[in-house]
Amino acid sequence: MQFLGLIRKLNASQQSIQKVVAFALKCFSKCGEDLWECIIEECQKGSINHRINILYFLDSLCETSLLAKAHQPPEQSSSSKQANTALYVDYVSRDLTQIVECVVPVGRQGLPNLPSTKQILENWRTKRIIEPQKVDEVLLLLSSRHSAPDTISTSAPSAAKPEPHLSRSEIFKRIEEDRERHKRLRERRWVQAQPHPGPAVPSSSTFVLASFLPLSDAENAELALDIEFENEWEATSDWNEDDVEVIAEERELCYPHLRRKGPVSDEEYGEQEMDIDLS
Amino acid sequence: MDTGHSRVPSPSQLPTSFSKYHHPYFTSAEIQHLSEKQRGKLSATQEEKSRQQACAFIEAVGSKIGFPRKTLATAQNLYHRFHLFFPRKDFNYHDVALAALYVSTKMHDTLKKPREILMVSYAVRFPELAAKSKSVGGDVDMDPATAENDRQRVLAVERLILETICFNFTSKMPFSYVIKIGRKLQASKKLIKCAWRLTIDSHRTLVPIMYPPNTVALGCLYTASLLATLEPPPSPLAEAHTDSRVATILKEKGDWERTYMAEAEDLEEIAHVVIDLLIQAAQNPSANTSPRTPASPSPHPSPRNQQFSSTGTPQPPPIPYKADQLIRLKIMMRQNEHPPRPQQPLGSADPSELYNGNDIAMLGKNQGTVRFLFGPPGVVGQGV
Repeated sequence: MQFLGLIRKLNASQQSIQKVVAFALKCFSKCGEDLWECIIEECQKGSINHRINILYFLDSLCETSLLAKAHQPPEQSSSSKQANTALYVDYVSRDLTQIVECVVPVGRQGLPNLPSTKQILENWRTKRIIEPQKVDEVLLLLSSRHSAPDTISTSAPSAAKPEPHLSRSEIFKRIEEDRERHKRLRERRWVQAQPHPGPAVPSSSTFVLASFLPLSDAENAELALDIEFENEWEATSDWNEDDVEVIAEERELCYPHLRRKGPVSDEEYGEQEMDIDLS
Repeated sequence: MDTGHSRVPSPSQLPTSFSKYHHPYFTSAEIQHLSEKQRGKLSATQEEKSRQQACAFIEAVGSKIGFPRKTLATAQNLYHRFHLFFPRKDFNYHDVALAALYVSTKMHDTLKKPREILMVSYAVRFPELAAKSKSVGGDVDMDPATAENDRQRVLAVERLILETICFNFTSKMPFSYVIKIGRKLQASKKLIKCAWRLTIDSHRTLVPIMYPPNTVALGCLYTASLLATLEPPPSPLAEAHTDSRVATILKEKGDWERTYMAEAEDLEEIAHVVIDLLIQAAQNPSANTSPRTPASPSPHPSPRNQQFSSTGTPQPPPIPYKADQLIRLKIMMRQNEHPPRPQQPLGSADPSELYNGNDIAMLGKNQGTVRFLFGPPGVVGQGV
């Protein structure tokens, strides 16, 4: 099939990824499931570098699927079979464990793909592309596995197929590709989740005060606002001495009577100034 | 407070170098003085309307791009600060808002190119053009010359904004303190969530450039606990109990002031400002919808609008607080408030000297050296 050919030629470049993503989205309604099976198959058969390329491709596929869904007129989405799905995202979610096990196989051969895979999984979790629970399950699987690498390599001599050694040029190529991809991921890392807009949240809601938005008790936050709050809630540490220090400093900036008195000369804070020469 | 800056008009007498220092927070006397200077012929009401429009625009563009809250909050702060020194009549609010957003993205390392921010702003300002767009992301097909012109204006304002902060790219946000202090006060998660949202909204006022972030956070926690009293029962009994306890603690002066380094009087002042904002928004729901709310129903109702009312006007969600409830709350607050503290006087130096007409004449003129100091005199060391 045409798609199989495209997938096999997939490389790490954005261009290559976008091409395959576009094709996959176009054909979703006709043969999305079949295409998905091709992807899984390639993931199982391809080289270790190819598999990580596929994972990055899936990342782009998910992002683009959600973007496409967000821009569909509401009435269209309710009548077509894409009613509650976000195209390929549901497949990814359903088969997440299987995919990750292919991309990061047990043993040393999986290690090159481990950090990038974790990065992508965490990105999916923060942006709620996949449900946090599901992602946590898979992350747990990965971390429990890799806590005992020695036993794996010694205890299962017959289980693992002998992986071909990567050639020197392949290794360098991989390093470059990783560098580019990490750069790109870092540029997007801060982007907040854009949840599927439902009829309850009209597009003008951004103009309304945050305090006026519906405050649900449920943990399943629907608004981007609430998702960010949940992420912050998990990540923020408790009030500690570092906070006391930071606040004390801010108060000095705010209240003149807290500042140290004494002669103020240019030399005293010469190091902090920034001279801009306008000539 | 001597900046080494003399107000001499003729170029031959301009000093070869002078200093400007960063003034991170303003007293209410300073704000009043500066605002009056910049307001010109505008009434206070018009000024407020303009301010809310710009803040809403920042919110709309920023959340469409997916910026985190800190980026949006700082952008709004920068906008407020800018118009303490530059009059609204000389600037288009879109330019200032986008420039503020751009500077904020640099400050918080959530980078986005100005061209990209501009594209999203077009989609917000001209939704009908965005709907017609062919690209997956809904990019507007804008005439390149217009876009380039707009981009240049945004970059010009950016330079002015950078000078108003003296190139000091640090900013401390209240958001994490809402969670930290809320937890320590044993407030319910729901209350903290509510306070977090109020903190977001507080950036539509000048509160965050008047008080340090812990005080803003406490002010919003206090406000949230007051608003919780307006909630119709039944809210879970345990929750209502802890929430009202938070209100009780923060209302009175006590040990908590030393622990969290804030004063009860400040919390009260912040609560009033924030509740005023809510009252205003509750009384003017139309003012809070799209800056391009159509005055009459769209003649070509697109499929997109069918989720809204039949007139094609976007329907905001029902407002949880009624204006009269909030007004009654304010009256109740005034009834047993702390006595007002002595106002900090304006001081001998005119704060608008930080940026006055001379400076605008200097900009782009390449004369002399300007020293930008990251903090006020007397604050020495550690990142200032």
